[in-house]
Amino acid sequence: MNGRIRMIAFVLILASILTGALTSVEAWTKPIIARNEALKIKRNVMAALELDYEDAALEKTFADTVSVVEKEGRTFYVTDDKTVAFPINGSGLWGPISGVLAVEPDGVTVKGITIVHQEETPGLGSRIAEQAYLDKFRAKRLHQGIRITEEGKASGDNEVDGITGATLSCQAFARILNSEASANLPGVKEIQQ
Amino acid sequence: MTLRKLLGKEGYKTFMKGVWKDHPIGSMCLGICSALAVSNTVANAVAMGVGVTFVLLATAVIVSSLRKLIPLRVRIIVYMITISAFVIVVDKVLKAFFPDISEAVGPYVGLIITNCIIMGRAEAFYSQNTLPLSLLDAVANGISYSYTLISIAIVREILGFGTLLGFKVTPEGWENWVVMSLAPGAFFLLGIFLWVTRTLAGVEPPREG
Repeated sequence: MNGRIRMIAFVLILASILTGALTSVEAWTKPIIARNEALKIKRNVMAALELDYEDAALEKTFADTVSVVEKEGRTFYVTDDKTVAFPINGSGLWGPISGVLAVEPDGVTVKGITIVHQEETPGLGSRIAEQAYLDKFRAKRLHQGIRITEEGKASGDNEVDGITGATLSCQAFARILNSEASANLPGVKEIQQ
Repeated sequence: MTLRKLLGKEGYKTFMKGVWKDHPIGSMCLGICSALAVSNTVANAVAMGVGVTFVLLATAVIVSSLRKLIPLRVRIIVYMITISAFVIVVDKVLKAFFPDISEAVGPYVGLIITNCIIMGRAEAFYSQNTLPLSLLDAVANGISYSYTLISIAIVREILGFGTLLGFKVTPEGWENWVVMSLAPGAFFLLGIFLWVTRTLAGVEPPREG
């Protein structure tokens, strides 16, 4: 009996001490982690809107140039000239893809796209996150839906080249863009009016 | 010779066992899962190596200094809560101060909890040896784990991404070996690594029959 009480007491005491230590680590790192997350979103919004910033002055530049509008549970980032950016989320081929899409003041033309997170095949599907590829979406129009074509065959203003070897990731990414566009563009229109 | 003097006879034996003869990945085949997964770039391998070494050290301190108090029947639970607590510390610190690395190594930091090197060493060594010896063993196993990951990562990053620590090192027109950035590349390299180091260490495979 004595041994059993000692056993329980030992586990309880050790667990309390370790939990206490963890709580203080949590309290210490929580604000820093929250700040990192906020900075990451801001950095991506700035990149999608193609606004220049110095990393050290990111928060000030962001506050000066971008206003945040909450509308029906969606978040929009609006600049003075009515360019609007919003977060995009969806399933890629292998895992979730999230990023930011910015739309020109006309409400349908892509200004810029960034990818914050993706889990596509490294070296193949992951190339959709390369800036050189994302730049191909610039000036494309969203109202008919983006279509992925064979590499080098894109001609229309809603067509974008696929990447050979990463066709399915490209198509999944276009699907995310299209569904987020149809969900968010009405809100963008309202803000721009 | 100097290292032998510095650590004493028993310490030297423990240390050399950890870094070479009883290599945790090579000889005991522990921690293979994370060695395959996180050895794709050198930065990830370094972060993982440091993380595992830290948790090993912390576990060695707790388990070996409490070894006479830990009730036998709950010892595994004690190892588990100790290891998990320190893994969460590593995860939080990475998230707070190295967000990029934290994102890259992702779930594998959490999986340090189930990294058998730590459980295995706690059960086999720290629960039966003095604190200084346990610390030596933790350092040795941490070094072993780290140098294995880093040496595999150097090859994988150069061949798979054409970079080393993020800097381009391959000539213009270099075609990345995609297989090296995927799990199969790690299997090939780990196999070669084990073959070479175990042959050098003179470890004979068990005879059949």
